[in-house]
This record gives sequence, C-alpha cells and structure tokens, in this order.
Amino acid sequence: MTAAERSPMTLADINMNDEEMFERGESHEAFRILRKKDRVHWTPATEHVKGYWNLTKYEDVLFVSRHPELFSSERGIVAFEPINEEDFNAAANGNGKMLITMDPPRHVKLRRLVNKGFTPRAVNEMEPHIREITTTILDKIAKKGSADFVLDVASQIPLAVICGMMGVEEKDWALMFQLTNKVLGPGDPEYQTDVPEEQRGTPEAAMLTGNMGTMQMFGFFAQMLMARRTERRDDLISLLCESDIEGEALSDEDILWFCFLLILAGNETTRNAMTGGLLALCENPDEKAKLQADMSLLPSAVEEVLRYVSPVMHMARNVMQDTEINGHPVKKDERVVMWYPAINRDEDVFPEAERFDITRSPNEHLAFGIGEHFCLGAGFARLELKVLYEELFRRFPDIELAGPAERLRSTFIGGIKHLPVKFTPEA
Amino acid sequence: MKVHVNTDMCEGHGKCEMAAPEVFKLGPDDVSIVLMPGELTGEIAAKAERAIRLCPRQAISAT
Repeated sequence: MTAAERSPMTLADINMNDEEMFERGESHEAFRILRKKDRVHWTPATEHVKGYWNLTKYEDVLFVSRHPELFSSERGIVAFEPINEEDFNAAANGNGKMLITMDPPRHVKLRRLVNKGFTPRAVNEMEPHIREITTTILDKIAKKGSADFVLDVASQIPLAVICGMMGVEEKDWALMFQLTNKVLGPGDPEYQTDVPEEQRGTPEAAMLTGNMGTMQMFGFFAQMLMARRTERRDDLISLLCESDIEGEALSDEDILWFCFLLILAGNETTRNAMTGGLLALCENPDEKAKLQADMSLLPSAVEEVLRYVSPVMHMARNVMQDTEINGHPVKKDERVVMWYPAINRDEDVFPEAERFDITRSPNEHLAFGIGEHFCLGAGFARLELKVLYEELFRRFPDIELAGPAERLRSTFIGGIKHLPVKFTPEA
Repeated sequence: MKVHVNTDMCEGHGKCEMAAPEVFKLGPDDVSIVLMPGELTGEIAAKAERAIRLCPRQAISAT
C-alpha cells in the first residue's frame, strides 16, 4: 500500500520501534506529527524492549547535547534496549568502552589521542589521496553506463579511506563492508546471511546477526592488533598501540573497541550521505541543474545534503537525574532519543524545511551532532562528498536514476542498500 | 561579556574565526586563540555569541 492509498498517519499510529516504517520511507510523516503535536513523545515498552522519550525539536536536542552531565552516553546510544537479560548484556557490551559510549572526563582524553588526524587542516591535506581513490572507483563503472550506486561507488569510497587510515589491507575491504552491514543493519533480512532463510526478518535473527558481525569484527581486528604489536606500520592501529592516557597504555580491549567504532562510523554514514544526496538531487532536477551549472555552489549543496539526509537517524542518552526538557519532566534512568532527520527539518529553524535547497543559508544543521560527541569524522565526510560530486558530475553529467532506492530496515541508520543509476558511458 | 576557549575541547573547526574574526583566530596547532580577552560589547559581542552557538564542540564559554 502506498502513502497515497492509506489514510493519513495520526499521532496514535506512530510507533518509533517500527523499522518497516523507516524502510518504507514514511518516517518524515511521523516526525512532522511529533514536532507539531508531541515534541517529547513517549514510546512505551514492549514485551522485548524498554520504552523511551523521542525528541524531534532542534532546541530540545541542542539542550540535551550540551549537557552530557545530565544526559549520559555510557549506558547505550541507541533507542533499542532489550529487556531480556542475555540480550541486554550483548547489546550493552561496548557501553563505556568506545568514544561514542563514553562520558567526560575520559571521553575528552581518549578523543585527544586521535583528533589531530581529523582536524580540518589534517583532512584537507588528504584531498589528493581522496580524489585518487574516487577516480579509481569511478573508472570501474565509466564504460558500463550503469551501476548500483551504493555497491559500486558510495560504499567503496569511504571504505577505502577509513581502511587506508586504519591499515586494513585491500583484500579485506569486502569483508569489512559485509560485517559493517551486519552490525549496523542487523534487522534487515538482506544482511541476515548467518540465519536460515525461513527465519530471517525475526527479532531473533536481528540479535544473532548483530552479535555475529561484532564477534567477527573483533576476531579480525584482534589478529591485526597482534601483528602490529610485533611489527608497527604507519597506521592508526600502530598509533593506538603506542598511545597512553596519563601514562597508562591502552589495553587490547580499548584498542579493539576503538577499531570497531572507527571502521563502522567511517564507512556506513558517509555511504548513505553520498547515496541520499544523489537521490535528492535526482528527485529535485532543478536543484541538480543549478549545481551542475555552477559547481561553486557545491560546499553549500553538501551541507544541504547532510541536513536533508541526516544519515545517522538517532543517538540516545540516559537521564542521570530528574530534570526537564522544554518544561517536560524526564526521570533518572529513562532514555531519551534524539532524532536528527526530524530536528533538521524543524520549521522553527529552517524555513521551508521540507524543501531541498542547495543554496540554503544559514544552514546550521546538526547532522553531525554537536558538543562533546560532535562527529570526529565530519571533515572527512564533507571532503569525500565534495570530491565525489565534483568527479561524478564532471565525468557523468547526465547521470540519472534507473530504478527505485531500496531502503535499509533500521531505526538507527537512514540507509539505502541499492540505487540503480544510468549515464552515458565514457568512450 | 568575556569569552573563553576550552582548549581541551577545541578541535580547530574554525567556525568561531568565520563568525567573529576580530575575536578568534586559529593558532598554528589548530586550537582557537582569543584575540580580544577583554569585555566585548555591541556588534562584536553579537558576533562572538554567534561563534559560541556555532562551535561544533561547544568549546567556547562566556562570562
């Protein structure tokens, strides 16, 4: 049933646990209702998962982001919180152990070990390297005239960049892609390859897929870590092996969680920004034409892509003491979920917020979050997007959609799994 | 108002320098330096407030 055939969504219909609503591309309809009618909205517990508050207004997310002392990251950063003890423990395994699941003061110290490699200055020095990667990847589709933009292009560029930084050899990049999909898209039957076909699509299959992906990822990086402890190379894992916090070396476990976070964050998010951006441009041909006529608009277009797509859909925080969000009481130990695609279309901040406008200014979107946990890789994401669109539109100016986008079944990542495109092949 | 940069938090995004170049400048180590540590008023204070709001790491405070 399409959106036009069924009756309009109402507040009572909204279930933020419903991954299939996101897969069908109907989440913005829910966000519009929540922003207007219930800006601090409770999703009740189910038989399997605990309840949580949903935040859909820009101002409320800004408030939560600016107060890590009130809203902690250490007890999980996704909405999904299983009730069953075994599942809870599996889901909570990395809590407090990665930058993304850590509070100050340790968060600040750990982040300082690596952030010199991610400053705008450091990132800009990588531009020739990123252009070379992009060119090589586009060369592979150039003569074909068609591609799955996700598999052939958007997944490949960020994967090559982050794997290169971390020291993962090219023969293992395809494995990193598969494992990333299992860890970040465990609810999608397409990625449940460890589960017999007839059992795919169940909550059990999702738990198993996520756990298998995590374990395989750890096994992979444990081997790499052992190798680097014996023989250092010029890569991030070797750097982490030599790092310490106030004289205390990082443990093997610290380093493995670091690798786990960097590989996931480095390849899934940018992939979906690239794909969602191309989709938005193709669905808004006037904006695409405007950009192609004047590529100096690209930096502004990249910001609009980030706002419009907001590929990381949410981050959750745990309430540390009874407090209020915009006058609405929230209690200690409750979970609040910040919905980035919702706040980045908040009409109180962005005029004509639903419109894709590559010249939008100001455009103070929070696609990368803000404050303590502002996306470490934001500079890389922006640069990779800029270089991709420059090279793509220079070589394939008539690129267009050749079929529908297939969305990821997830409430966490605003993912697109497949996007068929066509263009005039290079001679 | 007076502004202060938390150098533990600053990661050299340079939004402050763009918003209020009179007040902030990125140093050679990619950490923001306050050029006007004294009392800010009027238009300059308004620019500094914008810098505070835009800082991705929320590293700037005002007293």
